[in-house]
Amino acid sequence: MSVSKEAKHAFDAAPWTGKTKRYDIVKEGSIAVALVAIMAIFLSLFLGSPDDTPLTFKGWAISNPDNFYATAVQELSGSSGTATYGAPYNKAADGLNVGPLWLQKWAGVTRPIDTVNEFVIAPLSTQVLSTDIASALATWKSAADSQKHDWAVAYDDAITKAEGKISTVPAGAYGPVPVLAQGLTDMAKGGALDAALLSQGGFFQTDNTKQILFFGDGAYLDEAGTTANLQGGTWGMMNETGRYPGQAWLWLYSFWYQIPPFNNENSKPIGTNADAYIMVIMGIMSLGLILIPVIPGVRSLPMRIPIHRGIWRQYYDENGIKRRKK
Amino acid sequence: MTGWISDFMNHPATYLKSGWLQISVSNLIVIILMLTIFALAVLIPFPKDKEDHK
Repeated sequence: MSVSKEAKHAFDAAPWTGKTKRYDIVKEGSIAVALVAIMAIFLSLFLGSPDDTPLTFKGWAISNPDNFYATAVQELSGSSGTATYGAPYNKAADGLNVGPLWLQKWAGVTRPIDTVNEFVIAPLSTQVLSTDIASALATWKSAADSQKHDWAVAYDDAITKAEGKISTVPAGAYGPVPVLAQGLTDMAKGGALDAALLSQGGFFQTDNTKQILFFGDGAYLDEAGTTANLQGGTWGMMNETGRYPGQAWLWLYSFWYQIPPFNNENSKPIGTNADAYIMVIMGIMSLGLILIPVIPGVRSLPMRIPIHRGIWRQYYDENGIKRRKK
Repeated sequence: MTGWISDFMNHPATYLKSGWLQISVSNLIVIILMLTIFALAVLIPFPKDKEDHK
């Protein structure tokens, strides 16, 4: 340690000899906690909490049965958003990247989801089925994988060509797929699919991954998000359902999604990987915030913008301490 | 929870929009309140201590 550093250390370590003020941090903390508790109780008593109607498979299948039905077929054919997502659910795609950093792919498949079995076949298998659905299920289970794929893809393509209007889909070599999709739609209408997808074998059911993914594959969740102004492209990250204030502090995260190239999914490479790029940008900015004390220029901003002198103006006035000249 | 306040709060929100900027009235109120409290914290003088220690 040099002499100047030793002197500086001794100066910093020496007891304060200037003016002091009485200050009770425990008292201040207690008052703050009490005030916040009173406000929280008062506001929650009068304002309640967001109470939007829950989204359920029953609601989806009743309000838009064709869309639910088409989504069930997509789960069987492997063309749904979940089935083609990649990690952490499957290896169907490489996922998002930032330049050479394939973050999603490198993280690997940590929550494998087989949409065919977990979203359609397994839930149907839990039910007491009518003869035709039981027969269709048996046919599906005994068929070769390539045959299952051909049936489901043919029907999925036919529904796409019919623009989702199930009643107008022409007959074809779809195997048991139409019966299975109708069986799942009927199961959902009765409310049984909600319970079947939530059931994980534990007493407390807290993992809603499957439901949210299935919801996300169809139009139901998307439309609900648009109605409640919760879409990413309209600052949805900051909002809450109803008139409740949302997460205003997330404005900077949400901001990037409103401007090019992040708001254009067709813009390559950034728009197509907006989530990953924005995560990196916010990571760098957060690091900058943490490192403020060591960034030249930024660390001396309080001397250039002396808000603290405004807060402590009585102290500076009483002691005649002038601003340091630059 | 029921009651007219709860009903009012669970009603679809009003949003202010200008170009790519969009904000709910509720969020705007919260942000204005935060800025007001910050301004008051700067402007309101500290209470005078009963005793100062040298």
